Amino acid sequence: MSLAPYRVHKLIQDLMRDPPRAAAFAEDPEAVFDAFGLAEPEKAMLRDGSPAALHKLGVHPNLQMKYARLRARPSGPPPAGGGPLAAYLDRLREV
Amino acid sequence: MGRIVGGFATSHVLFPPAGVEAQAGRVLDGMMRMRAEIRALAPDLVVLAGSDHLNNFSLAMQVTLAVAVADSFTTLGDGGAPAVTFPGNRGFAEGFARFAARRDFDLVQAEEVRPDHGMAIPQLIIDPTNTLPIVPVYINCNMPVPPSPGRCYRLGGVLKDYVESERPAVERVVVVGAGGLSHWLCLPEQGKVAAEFDLDFIERMIAGRSAELAQLSAGEIETASGNGGLELTAWLFMAGAVPQARGEKLYYEPIPEWISGMGGVSLTPVGA
Repeated sequence: MSLAPYRVHKLIQDLMRDPPRAAAFAEDPEAVFDAFGLAEPEKAMLRDGSPAALHKLGVHPNLQMKYARLRARPSGPPPAGGGPLAAYLDRLREV
Repeated sequence: MGRIVGGFATSHVLFPPAGVEAQAGRVLDGMMRMRAEIRALAPDLVVLAGSDHLNNFSLAMQVTLAVAVADSFTTLGDGGAPAVTFPGNRGFAEGFARFAARRDFDLVQAEEVRPDHGMAIPQLIIDPTNTLPIVPVYINCNMPVPPSPGRCYRLGGVLKDYVESERPAVERVVVVGAGGLSHWLCLPEQGKVAAEFDLDFIERMIAGRSAELAQLSAGEIETASGNGGLELTAWLFMAGAVPQARGEKLYYEPIPEWISGMGGVSLTPVGA
């Protein structure tokens, strides 16, 4: 797998560290795409956002997951429900 | 001289048990067995080797081998693991960096990291009291150019020499490698589990043949076990710290629903 241009990864990395900008991305992704200087084919694949499109673009696997979270939950608290360890936490916390 | 009194390795994720209750139960049993065995060894500290999932080290600054030197660490709180604070051991960690530099390993010293699930879930398994000092060593296979398996194994040997030559005589150290086994993350093969490779890796490791495994290239491991399988380089770091050690399989379950082969081992250092 060849990696996407760094500007694509920089966009995801920067948004993950900047909640206000992540919120702005949710409102107007095109402006953020432009701010990071993305080429039209890169924008198209990020708009698509599917695993196949992100893989084709060469987005690092860990950043694919972060990008999916940015699109699903651009800001705000994590979803309720206890998370993937919920069923095990009582036993894992036994001292 | 200090002593490495045990070597362990384990997968570093858990997912909801729905649909795979029996396998999930055996995985948790294996993890809890690892905790019990570590506790029985009464270590003064644990060296925990694993990867970072682009949470602390990004593509902006691609760190492959690092030791976290801070006095304490607060975990990131991702992957379902609660954010907790546990002690490090600055003297041990900085001393390891200095010793390793004399042995041709230039380790990045990390002051500010928030260990993500790759270390936080193993830490929760090892010590839910959050009182046992843990020194995180990053074997960062998620970087575009990962450290080679052989180099990770040799770094484990450097850790052994450091403990035995520079640490206090009473110090008891456990080494844990975290991650793996086979999984293809965000790739078209996602969901595939290479159980045959996983079990062969485990069997050779517990038979004292880890040096053979360290001869594999990163590319060979990735081809056979996926990009996530490269996390086995943390297992090889651990194995390098307990050369020729034999041991036991703690658990192994191929769980496509979790997109991963899940496993763990316990190694007893030669002479222990």
